[in-house]
Amino acid sequence: MSRQGNRAGDPRKVNGELFTLTYGALVAQLIKDYENDEQVNKQLDKMGYNMGVRLIEDFLARANTGKCNDFRETADVIAKVAFKMYLGLTPVVSNWSTAGDEFSLLLESNPLTEFVELPPGHSNLNYSNLLCGALRGALEMVQMDVDVRFVQDILKGDNITEIRLKFIKRLEDAVPVGED
Amino acid sequence: MAACVAVIAKENYPLFIKTIPTENELKFYYTVHTSLDVVEEKISSLGKNANDLRELYLGLLYPTEDYKVYGYVTNTRVKFVVVVDSSNASLRDNEIRTMFKKLHNAYVDMLCNPFYKPGDNITSKSFDNIVVGMLQQD
Repeated sequence: MSRQGNRAGDPRKVNGELFTLTYGALVAQLIKDYENDEQVNKQLDKMGYNMGVRLIEDFLARANTGKCNDFRETADVIAKVAFKMYLGLTPVVSNWSTAGDEFSLLLESNPLTEFVELPPGHSNLNYSNLLCGALRGALEMVQMDVDVRFVQDILKGDNITEIRLKFIKRLEDAVPVGED
Repeated sequence: MAACVAVIAKENYPLFIKTIPTENELKFYYTVHTSLDVVEEKISSLGKNANDLRELYLGLLYPTEDYKVYGYVTNTRVKFVVVVDSSNASLRDNEIRTMFKKLHNAYVDMLCNPFYKPGDNITSKSFDNIVVGMLQQD
């Protein structure tokens, strides 16, 4: 009984392997249900989007970062604070476009894909597409319309996992139709 | 070091067999098949006492003139059988134990792949690589 007081750490923390296996079961079930890689990618993106719009609130409450002045600062905050907080790793920000509106996140390891080997018929599957949806959803809640996609993926045979983020436009709060 | 490595499911059908390249691979398959009886005997004899006292490593199952057969059973009744050349006398018990430990770890990692259905034939490349590493004759 005296051990209960020693339960250290955030009660929201969960075992990493449990997280990986849960995500794996989710993707495997989606594949069984939809049988089409593009559909599964879309669903993962949608689910990620729903997670992202909620995660951003939690992130802003815990991170205390303040407003980012430009896209470069946003990129740094995403890589150094957000990824570290939620996945425990820090991707490298690189490959900035000349206009400064596109960049890449390079991940050497991906906790979602530990133990995973893509089966032969599914080379189009973006296994970690949930991440893309989450980034897109979170950035939309801070008034940025960003296109997020996978460029390279270790699961598909590349050396590194690369996510490309492209800034499309700033979202203005839309005035509801009918009000002036 | 090993001549043949086999993984057998709990229903006693093979999930994975790999041998060193040789003309007569069938004899290894027979050897593994006959060793299953010995494995069954070993796991049933200790079943009377508390089950968790049974050790996973079964040791030398039986020697033939050319080969020695070793066995290992997990608590989920998945069996690993390794056939080694008798002439390779320098192989000690400890090395066989480490070999089984490596096999068991590789099996567990492969099982965590969400696309692998337990009971299917093993097609994982990383598992295959680990087994090929064990089979390499040096």
